[in-house]
Amino acid sequence: MEETRCGLGASLAHGGRFILGEGPIRHTGGTEIKYARIKFVQKIRLCGRRDTARLLLGNEGGRPDHVGGFWIVKPDICATVFSQRETIKRHFLLTVTVPAYFGEALPGQFVMVRPQGCAAPFLSRPFSIYSVQPRGDDTCLEIFYQVVGEGTEKLSKLAAGDLLSIRGPLGRGFDVPSSCKTIVLIAGGIGAAPLSFLAQRCREEMDGVELMCYLGAGTAESLAGLKRLEEICTEVKISTDDGSRGYHGLVTGLFEKDMDRYTDDTVRIYSCGPRAMLKNLQALLTDNRASCQVSLEERMACGFGACLGCAVRIRSHGGGFVRVCTEGPVFDIRDVEFSE
Amino acid sequence: MKVHTSVDIGGLTLKNPVMTSSGTFGYGEEYADYLDIGRLGAVVVKGLSLQPKEGNPPPRIMETAAGMLNAVGLQNVGVEAFIEEKLPYLRTIDPAVVVNIFGNSVEEYGRIAAILNDADGVDALEVNISCPNVKEGGVAFGSDPILAGEVTRAVKSVSRLPVIVKLTPNVTDITEIARSVETAGADALSLINTLTGMSIDIEKRIPHLKNITGGLSGPAIKPVALRMVWETVQAVSVPVIGVGGIMSASDALEFLIAGARAIQIGTAHFLDPSAAAHVIDGIEQYLSEHGIDDIRDLIGTLRT
Repeated sequence: MEETRCGLGASLAHGGRFILGEGPIRHTGGTEIKYARIKFVQKIRLCGRRDTARLLLGNEGGRPDHVGGFWIVKPDICATVFSQRETIKRHFLLTVTVPAYFGEALPGQFVMVRPQGCAAPFLSRPFSIYSVQPRGDDTCLEIFYQVVGEGTEKLSKLAAGDLLSIRGPLGRGFDVPSSCKTIVLIAGGIGAAPLSFLAQRCREEMDGVELMCYLGAGTAESLAGLKRLEEICTEVKISTDDGSRGYHGLVTGLFEKDMDRYTDDTVRIYSCGPRAMLKNLQALLTDNRASCQVSLEERMACGFGACLGCAVRIRSHGGGFVRVCTEGPVFDIRDVEFSE
Repeated sequence: MKVHTSVDIGGLTLKNPVMTSSGTFGYGEEYADYLDIGRLGAVVVKGLSLQPKEGNPPPRIMETAAGMLNAVGLQNVGVEAFIEEKLPYLRTIDPAVVVNIFGNSVEEYGRIAAILNDADGVDALEVNISCPNVKEGGVAFGSDPILAGEVTRAVKSVSRLPVIVKLTPNVTDITEIARSVETAGADALSLINTLTGMSIDIEKRIPHLKNITGGLSGPAIKPVALRMVWETVQAVSVPVIGVGGIMSASDALEFLIAGARAIQIGTAHFLDPSAAAHVIDGIEQYLSEHGIDDIRDLIGTLRT
């Protein structure tokens, strides 16, 4: 019995390649593979972003005669909408049934989404993952978004049973060291979405962590994701631009009043929201030692690092451009050049 | 029925006519998680310059009807870093590896070509002449038949590899450029590169692209690309590679019937990274259904 290790596109000497192009493997120890030549899988081991496996290709009698390795490809998934509803005005909660591997998604990661078979608008749209929950053999993926243009408008019309093309999970998520005692979330508008996922994971995995959330919106009616954050966080402080609820002013102004509380190594700050807000926050934190990560957004075409459309200037990396979709969307706030 | 899909592009043999379009496929490895790269006829990588280039400030892209504008600005790691960091992966894949190159001057094109002569794993060069000639006040090499010819000659005179020259459509008569480049020794031509376009934010009253203009790609440009391929096929004898808005096997077949020896897929990958695999399957299926056992019996069979 000979062992051959080969990557994508390689052919075994004994004939035929066995690359999976149909869909993902279930990493639950189950061994269902949609490819005729493969008889059974001996072992699956996760290795970074690629899964490697040793396969035994059996003949009719089930005796193994070839062993090979391969990478699992993850093509775009055709997923079914489980439900969609409008929560606050022009904000939608979309729940989609996706394969099990989406359950490994990390807070801060995102997906590229388009209605299946839809030619217009042309490009897929990126959305932060709001939550993932296992449901039987599959995963329930939630996206929480605001209708701001043609793409989101189209998406908001989908209902249970409709089909979506989804790519992901993509990008680098938030870093949360286990030594962290206090987590501060500063959310501007729909920026609450990835921070909510982060809060949920931290609550589940970190005993006794203090979750302080600062949530800002234009007006009381547009406080996105408030209910879920209130369920998860230790405390949610609210600001509205028009003063209709909570602090009258910017969410960074509200945070600034408490800033002296958050100056040491056991505090981590995470933020997501409009660029202007993040730029304000960066300035506020100039003399503060607390670590802060932000989730950025930028127009994307591919979402996986090939087109170089979503550039952001980063102060490290020799001060050049990196990709929001691949090196991000999460960055150290002090590293981002906001004034481009 | 076994169909033969192998084509010869000026000395470069491809197992099928489906290639990737430069600038949409990175350096190949970006797609490793998303499709079986081994199925492609060729991978054409991001355009390389002598020195690394950081590209344009954002916003770099904007969606349009049936397409997109890009002003990425030819961001690339530079030819030396490519050879050291990106080529090792490309040596492990089955498809031919075509390296796209560009320069600020005629002389730079020659220098990059010379450096790539010694790079193991490169099967052909694709010369991007759609960029500005910095020395001549920014006129694109590809819009002047004489300059286009000079660039071609500079590369051909040093390179040991097949040389494909990629033409820009932003000219009055692409066949004039095509003929000049053929005379100068190009082994093949690929066309078209992007069409220059623009988009405006009506609320902020600024262009959507920081660079103001950008290159239009996607289905919107296919009719223009197809027409130019058809015109060029009649004007030259060297093989022509068709590029521009190909999303499906049916699109690809239009170009083949018009006379393209091979095709490139670009923007389609952003909508579906496995687009190329579907195109290969579709071409094979068409040939099989029509009882054509060799793709060369389909190429250039347009009846007019």
